[in-house]
Amino acid sequence: MSLLEVDAVTKRFGGLTAVSRFSLTVGAGEIVGLIGPNGAGKTTVFHLLSGFQVPTEGTVRFKGVSVVGAKPHAICRRGLARTFQIVQPFVNLSALDNVMVGAFNRTDEVAAARRRAVEVLDFVGLGARRDVLARELTLPDRKRLEMARGLATQPELLLLDEVMSGLNPTEIEEIIGLIRRIHGQGVSLLIIEHVMRAIMALSQRIVVLHHGEKIAEGGPEAVARDPKVVGAYLGEQS
Amino acid sequence: MAAEALGGLALGVLLAAPPFLPPYFLEILISVMLVGYLGAAWNILGGYAGQFSFGHAAYFGIGAYTSTLLFLRLGVSPWLGMLAGGVLAAAFGLAAGYLSFRYGLRGPYFSLVTLAFAEMLRVIAVNTKAVGSSLGLVIPNREPAPVNFIFAGKLPYYYVILVMALGAVWITRVVSRSKLGYSLLAIRENEDAAEASGVDALGMKLRAMAISAFLTALGGTFYAQYFAYIDPTITFGPSVSIQSLLQAIVGGAGTVLGPVIGAFVLTPVSELSRAAIRGRAGVDVMLYGLVLILVISFLPQGIMGWVRRRR
Amino acid sequence: MTADLLLQALVSGLLLGGVYGLVASGLSLIFGVLRIINFAHGAVMMLAMYTTYWLFTLRGIDPYLSIVVTGPLFFLIGMLIERAVIEPNRFAAEHNQLLLTLGLALFLENLALVLWQGDFRTVRPSYASASFVVGEALVEVPRLVACGGAIVMAVALFAFLRLTDVGKAIRALSEEPEGAMLMGIDVRRIRAVAFGIGSGCVAVAGALVTPFFYVAPDVGESFNIMAFVVVVLGGMGNFVGALLGGFIVGLAESLGATLLPGSLKQLVVFALFVLVLLSRPAGLFGGGRGR
Repeated sequence: MSLLEVDAVTKRFGGLTAVSRFSLTVGAGEIVGLIGPNGAGKTTVFHLLSGFQVPTEGTVRFKGVSVVGAKPHAICRRGLARTFQIVQPFVNLSALDNVMVGAFNRTDEVAAARRRAVEVLDFVGLGARRDVLARELTLPDRKRLEMARGLATQPELLLLDEVMSGLNPTEIEEIIGLIRRIHGQGVSLLIIEHVMRAIMALSQRIVVLHHGEKIAEGGPEAVARDPKVVGAYLGEQS
Repeated sequence: MAAEALGGLALGVLLAAPPFLPPYFLEILISVMLVGYLGAAWNILGGYAGQFSFGHAAYFGIGAYTSTLLFLRLGVSPWLGMLAGGVLAAAFGLAAGYLSFRYGLRGPYFSLVTLAFAEMLRVIAVNTKAVGSSLGLVIPNREPAPVNFIFAGKLPYYYVILVMALGAVWITRVVSRSKLGYSLLAIRENEDAAEASGVDALGMKLRAMAISAFLTALGGTFYAQYFAYIDPTITFGPSVSIQSLLQAIVGGAGTVLGPVIGAFVLTPVSELSRAAIRGRAGVDVMLYGLVLILVISFLPQGIMGWVRRRR
Repeated sequence: MTADLLLQALVSGLLLGGVYGLVASGLSLIFGVLRIINFAHGAVMMLAMYTTYWLFTLRGIDPYLSIVVTGPLFFLIGMLIERAVIEPNRFAAEHNQLLLTLGLALFLENLALVLWQGDFRTVRPSYASASFVVGEALVEVPRLVACGGAIVMAVALFAFLRLTDVGKAIRALSEEPEGAMLMGIDVRRIRAVAFGIGSGCVAVAGALVTPFFYVAPDVGESFNIMAFVVVVLGGMGNFVGALLGGFIVGLAESLGATLLPGSLKQLVVFALFVLVLLSRPAGLFGGGRGR
């Protein structure tokens, strides 16, 4: 049994099909990359997995149990956390309070949540800025904060939605290192990313989405050479 | 430390000074405490959870009518009626909240629907003979009977509302330092992100609603016992709802002491203006409107937010 | 319940519904462009009614004729309010903007109370009680004129929005805010103009009802609530929906008044309001943005 099993999921908005018969598995301990041109339906897939949208057809099973129709917080409680493409920090709260909200996913005790949050903030490299309001953090720090909040929920599977967009090469390297360390803690990852260098370096397997359909799947090198994938990306640039 | 010393001093004055105050000032202090209390109750839902209710009069009215009717018709002590009103208001709040939140009403739409619920109760009260219709209810026979929440003179009422206000502040403090408090702030800031972080937004908002409604209803009973008269417009009308949110907004929504601070600023403003322009109704509320505009424009986080930023 | 009474209720409901439609159109226009639910809309109407009253009482100017004064005057006052109060808080939190208009409503209403006390005042021109009978229903001329005037005004507004550059800019801004900014529309100016037009509309509605209504500081409140109901029903920012919604709410209120005792008719309107909010915040006729 894989950690996450997505089977033939379709999402239609009115007449528009955003995702069509999409299947995917993520095994325990895996890092899977989800790529595709803009508008391919990647973020919709994340919404479907994390409970923000309900599939029109198909099933999503996490740890063997269907999560279709479950609320986002219930899915998070089961151990699947996510970040948002456009970071969504609680802007008027301190970095520490932001992460504590995530930590409360596993405890009702304020002291325990605070300990966990401090740990996670140190882990992502925000320890020194824990008392800064989220609104005052720089974009790279907000990306870290978003990951920290997700991590604090103690997920088994973490969905990262373009956590490198808008970062410079040095910052990207740091985030790649951070993702490796998260993986090292036994967390499986499903990553949407446009920074190809990063996705190639991190992913054990890559799934390519185009116009809502899966057009390729395999190891990084195989996918990079796949003519359909090359075609999809070239089509975007023309 | 200075803040704590100041707080202790203020508390000491509030406890010790009233017996020596002239009746007029005692009355003002009672209304400061009452609106501060209502603001604190509103603040848990409005300030912390960010759900701006425009209809807290519904809970105030339920509290006032429940205890008064139980007392007048069945002779039940208003102290018990107060609890019954609180429970009933919490139940109504849970039902109204469940409907509103379940159907995804956010922001101004939530404000509008809460306003509509309160107005519906007002219209029902006006048209129901059994609850005195628009004439309202009078608590006759004011022989002092502490067991029935009837006291000689104003001073005991002052201490009752002081304890209630301190209790509301204490509850706010406990909530703000709990998982519930953190969850409410997260919902206020960004409900989707809160859900994604494992916050049961519906459940948490309903908890805030129940606490807020329960406390507001107790204020309704206090009002009924203190003034010995209630009617649908006083209790269910929009002015109670506006008073509740005004204290919190001016003092600082989502802060522990904000609503009480707001009450200490707003009530004197209203009293002074009424004294300055005698015989003209509306001056105080007109100034409230002006204060609201000025606070939103220049102190959007209220007085407490401003104090915090200056430190 | 006799058929006559029902017919009468239908007629009165439809006639007042036209006025609700105009009030709501103004509210809807303001919401469309500024994304603000304007709690002060009814207060502006009340001020226009007082203006009509004073023009009639002091100068003997006919209420209908006074529209040429009140309309433009409140257009300007609306623009002024927007510039002075709303615009500085354009980027404030949504609920704070709502509170801003609430503060404005409290201020204006109680200013009227301070200035002119709470007495009910009436404007009674010679034609105030003129009426005629159609079938079994009595039609009061002032109500008919108010409804007709409201429809004419709403149609004029509609034409303005379709045909003029400013109107097109308003529509662009309420339908595609981002696109409108890219098109180089002067957003600041259009916001003020939209608030001005919305205020002008409600002022005209105020003048139209004074011959058969009373004037008092809180007279706008009930119209404001009705307009909320109408706008939610018709879809926020949807002008045609606002007019249609006005008739629906007018009918519901009037039928409620005929069928239910006392002031329970208001219950019908609020119940309708809650139901529409819960079932479809985007309004029955869509077009607006809910949630």
